[in-house]
Amino acid sequence: MLDRARTLQAQEPAPERTICDPVSLEIIRGAIAAAQSEMEALIERTAISAFIREKKDFYTALFDENGIMAVGSMVPIFGDMTSPVFDHFPPESMKPGDLYWYNDCYGSRGAVSHSNDQVLLAPVFKDGKRCAFVMSWAHFADIGGMRPGSISPDATDIFQEGIIVPPTKLIDAGVTNETALAIFHRNSRFPDQSNGDMRALMASVELGTKRVSEILDRFGTEVVADAFAQLLARTRRLVRAKLSETFDYGTHRFTDAIDGDGHGNGPFKMRFSLIREKGEEDDRFIFDATESDDQAPGPVNYIMNRGVPGMALGLFYLGGDPAQVCNAGGPNAIDEVRLREGSFLLPKWPAPLGMRGLTTMRAISAIGGLVNVARGGAPAANSAYVVTIMRGNFRNEDGELERFLLADGIGVGYGARPNADGIDAVYFVAQENYPVEFLETGYPVRLLRYGVVRDSGGAGKHRGGCGIVREYEILAEDALLAVRIDSLKNPPWGIDGGMGGGTGRATVNPGTDKERVLKPLSDGNRLVRGDILRMETGGGGGYGHPFDRPVERVLEDVLGGYVSREAAERLYGVILSGDVVDEVSTARARADRPATRRFHRTEYVDALD
Amino acid sequence: MPSTDTFLSVAVDIGGTFTDISMIDRSSGKIWRAKTPSVPSDPSEAFLTGIRLALDEAGKEAASLDQVLHGTTVATNMILEGKGARAALVTTRGFRHVLDIGRQDIPRKANLFTWSKPQRPVPASRIVEIDERVAAGGEVLQPLDEASVREAAKSLRGMDIEAVGVCLLHAFANPAHERRAAEILREELPDIAVTTSTDVLPVVREFERSLTTVLNASVMPGVTTYVGRIEQRLADEKVEAPLLLMQSNGGVAGSAAIRQAPALTALSGPAAGVVGARSIAAACGIKDLITVDIGGTSADICLIKDGRIGLTQHGKVGDWPLPMPMVDMVTIGAGGGSTAAISDETLTVGPKSAGARPGPAAYGHGGTEATVTDAHVVLGHLPEKLLGGRMALDVEAARTVIRDRVAGPLGLSLEDAARGILAIADNHMVGAVRVVSVERGHDPRHFTLVPFGGAGPLHGTALAELLGISSVMIPPAPGILCADGLLAADLKAEFSRTLPRAGAIDVAAAEGIFEDLEKQAADWFDIEGVAPEQRNTAKVALLRYHGQGGELAIGWAGSREATEAAFTAEHEALYGFALGAAIELVTLRVEATGRTAEQPPIRLPASSAVEPYDHVPVHFDGETVSTPLIDRAALGAGASFEGPVILSQLDTTTLVPPGWSGCVHETGAILLTRPGGATQ
Repeated sequence: MLDRARTLQAQEPAPERTICDPVSLEIIRGAIAAAQSEMEALIERTAISAFIREKKDFYTALFDENGIMAVGSMVPIFGDMTSPVFDHFPPESMKPGDLYWYNDCYGSRGAVSHSNDQVLLAPVFKDGKRCAFVMSWAHFADIGGMRPGSISPDATDIFQEGIIVPPTKLIDAGVTNETALAIFHRNSRFPDQSNGDMRALMASVELGTKRVSEILDRFGTEVVADAFAQLLARTRRLVRAKLSETFDYGTHRFTDAIDGDGHGNGPFKMRFSLIREKGEEDDRFIFDATESDDQAPGPVNYIMNRGVPGMALGLFYLGGDPAQVCNAGGPNAIDEVRLREGSFLLPKWPAPLGMRGLTTMRAISAIGGLVNVARGGAPAANSAYVVTIMRGNFRNEDGELERFLLADGIGVGYGARPNADGIDAVYFVAQENYPVEFLETGYPVRLLRYGVVRDSGGAGKHRGGCGIVREYEILAEDALLAVRIDSLKNPPWGIDGGMGGGTGRATVNPGTDKERVLKPLSDGNRLVRGDILRMETGGGGGYGHPFDRPVERVLEDVLGGYVSREAAERLYGVILSGDVVDEVSTARARADRPATRRFHRTEYVDALD
Repeated sequence: MPSTDTFLSVAVDIGGTFTDISMIDRSSGKIWRAKTPSVPSDPSEAFLTGIRLALDEAGKEAASLDQVLHGTTVATNMILEGKGARAALVTTRGFRHVLDIGRQDIPRKANLFTWSKPQRPVPASRIVEIDERVAAGGEVLQPLDEASVREAAKSLRGMDIEAVGVCLLHAFANPAHERRAAEILREELPDIAVTTSTDVLPVVREFERSLTTVLNASVMPGVTTYVGRIEQRLADEKVEAPLLLMQSNGGVAGSAAIRQAPALTALSGPAAGVVGARSIAAACGIKDLITVDIGGTSADICLIKDGRIGLTQHGKVGDWPLPMPMVDMVTIGAGGGSTAAISDETLTVGPKSAGARPGPAAYGHGGTEATVTDAHVVLGHLPEKLLGGRMALDVEAARTVIRDRVAGPLGLSLEDAARGILAIADNHMVGAVRVVSVERGHDPRHFTLVPFGGAGPLHGTALAELLGISSVMIPPAPGILCADGLLAADLKAEFSRTLPRAGAIDVAAAEGIFEDLEKQAADWFDIEGVAPEQRNTAKVALLRYHGQGGELAIGWAGSREATEAAFTAEHEALYGFALGAAIELVTLRVEATGRTAEQPPIRLPASSAVEPYDHVPVHFDGETVSTPLIDRAALGAGASFEGPVILSQLDTTTLVPPGWSGCVHETGAILLTRPGGATQ
């Protein structure tokens, strides 16, 4: 143990001796987790927009005195959240009771990656010394812009995506800048929601500040600072060790793509490399995305914050161990991140960003792809989560036309893992659906179907997750519809014999003579009362040879509506007779085992490009 | 026949190891307690053995019993262990996968790379769709196609199931289709238990309601059999008294109600203890308390303000949300059997537990993990010389596991390692106390801490110190408080109606709905046989700001202004801000309580004698102190003492560290105080 401690000191600017003992460390970690839960519960209970309180698109985090994230949320999308504020407000200038705010994607180097996300950050002081920062973040339903909901596939620059708030001091030593808030809320089509959500977010940061102060009072600033340092060092050490296990010296490349930008351009390829080389004292790990395609005219650009590759790899390596903490130790484990300005992963201002969600999802899978071209162990590709945004007018009980906005996130299938199926019908960490009974109470739609899409999960020993079918009958007088679906041309890949996932589509009035299939990433689709909109989402890639999937699991998939009889026979070599397995025919079918190669998207290949 | 000059109530609480019985004559206040080993293969056996023991001791006949109260974890265990009956679900066409999809999220604290959706209690292959549709407001869009229900029954017949649930969209707004479908299924499948979502949980949100429905279906056969067996045993003994069962909401209900909705008991396990703690605290004149019930594997923490036990609909059993009214408490995986582990140079305690077997190393059943109990043994909190010699402690085994598993690897002294384990376990519990107190706008320092359960009184003062609490109350029988709690429980039921459309309070309309709900409550009182003078109802309005997702329960103040003002004050107190936004009324509720007969307070004879029967060395913060051991049963009302002291009794051990003083209340409770204690 002593040796390990010494090695650690060589790598980390850690204090000379360990001030925070293991017991206090665990207590502080527990207290921070409790504070986070409390902040999250407050947001959930008091926020006004359905986007925050029902879908739960909000997160919290805690940073050390220098703004390094010591305890984050379990999402791989957070990068460096604090330095954008420090650029304008040096930490030395901060006072107790301050609260800082931004949503500026370019001004924050992608710390937020579309303008709907509001970040509130407050310093925590003890005895006049700055000791920590607390953050709450939430997606605001409407902040102005070209269409209700602020994000639209039609956008061609960021000014169409709502008001931009550069790092701003929202509260100056306890005095709130009400004018800034008034300007912000005035720019929303739903100012009451904007106001209520902001109050909820402000209250949660205030609560977090209070809780962290109590932790500081209890343990003292030195012990808490050391606890943060240890939490960061622990994660970094673990991620570095795992990186060394996964990646040999040299360059490991993986390429994936999104289909297009909704403006007729694409595909856009993300070409990632992970380079391991010998450094002067220690190995260097470099993430390089410079060879990725040029930026898109449409809003699929994604300013990949330099912290994101390390955060994603960190989260992957931390696995499900509840004793580990997702924090900046992940990004700190990567020595260098190379991005190319002008590429769609580091676009030049003022390229539009609103639909970057599909790019983010693809990037997370492609980072897993880097692991898979090395020693392996990461999941097959996820499908990119889907959104339908409806805005229009409906006739209320008094017979008057009333405006509505429905941004409905729809889950997809995730990629299969080396030891488990991909997750069926899931959106993202912490983000929930709008229940049917909630939707029909508050919005002019009626749902006809909400289920999984059969055969959408990539076949494999471990099956890719299945996507979702969600069918709406439109009760509004009229509605303008935006849809965000990706991965039709480049379905999520499977690995080690596992097959690619199914693709999504959006259809109006399916099965009638008025049927029309919508462009997957498009806006301006007009719907009128009585129209039926069927949204089908894609599935995740499979893992391992489908013939290795236990027969009884294939049977359960068939009986449960996840796999068709035809696919069971053709892809899995499992032949059913009624609701039971025909053992003899199955054994015969499985004896003739198709050859596979490393990856599969629409066919088996050795490498994806 | 029950006698007229006594009112005999007997309560039976069945635990993993022992079955506890408390019996009271409510007219005289005399109480008898008994304990008998549980019989896991047939819990009703110990149930009856225990009642006989109590009756023998009291010299009473079984036929003279007036009330039989019982708390059961049969439903809870079936859900936790996935051992419910094989069940199926019938739902609206198009929505077969609602249960599988869930809320389509990866949980906030889970890792997206490794998390898998928990397997549902009913797989999609046993979910059948029928043709019908009700709209959000309750109007029928598509009439129930009865042929499709009969078709469904045909498929169900081939599934080899014991129970089926029916959960149809918007049934809470109009249950007609669910009821009719259930009728047809009962007709077609006479041997199969049928339940509907509106029988169990008539509230909005289809996933949670479907889940509750299938859980209810899957525990129905087991609970019905269990309750039936107990009633048969009681009938065999010529007991005519009604059997009342503990519900998750802290009240009891008749066995007919529980047979219909056994899921109502799924979160009832810890409820009886809370009710018992409240009752004893009330007898001591304490109305604001925080209860900490520490058992072998978990701790349940609950806050009682103004003598009222709060309820919540955010309960969970295992992986499953179960949004039925339950006592608002927080359960964490920290108890006497929680194990300490070191990973990556970090010491963690729980949620893994050594369980009952092998249990802590000190119990000598071959336990090799360092547990919280072992830490207590190492520090001398649990001396070898406990009363009754019921369990010999293996002190050396405890020292060995703490040394090998914790002290050695971390380079700590044996005592520091033990203290570290306790500090971490205490910290978990403090976190949970904060959730029920600070998080809900209460300052824990203004509350009395009431620790109970087998391990509670060992942690009470330490938790109090961490929380800045200066008063701790140890109930007379902390280890068997659940049985006492059953005796103190009222009959409880709730009747609520969610308005078709949330909006501003309309007083006339609300009063009309309250009138309906009170009628339902009156019918329920009749069925449960509650005498008029014991009936009590309270009107509650569930309000929110327009747009919010959760409501606050506010006592109906009779006018819009007063009710809204109370809401605003509550929002401000809970969340730190109020909005100018419109306030909406969502649901009206009548809470009905049938009080059980009042029980006269117990009075312990006075005596100031405090005679230690031994002294043992105990490690307190850096020093070893020779500490008196006191037999609690020998203490009379008014006796007082100064810490350090260890109080020994059959069902628990109480640690009173230096700086604390205690005195015995006439109820038998011990009040510990820390005069001038600092808050850290």
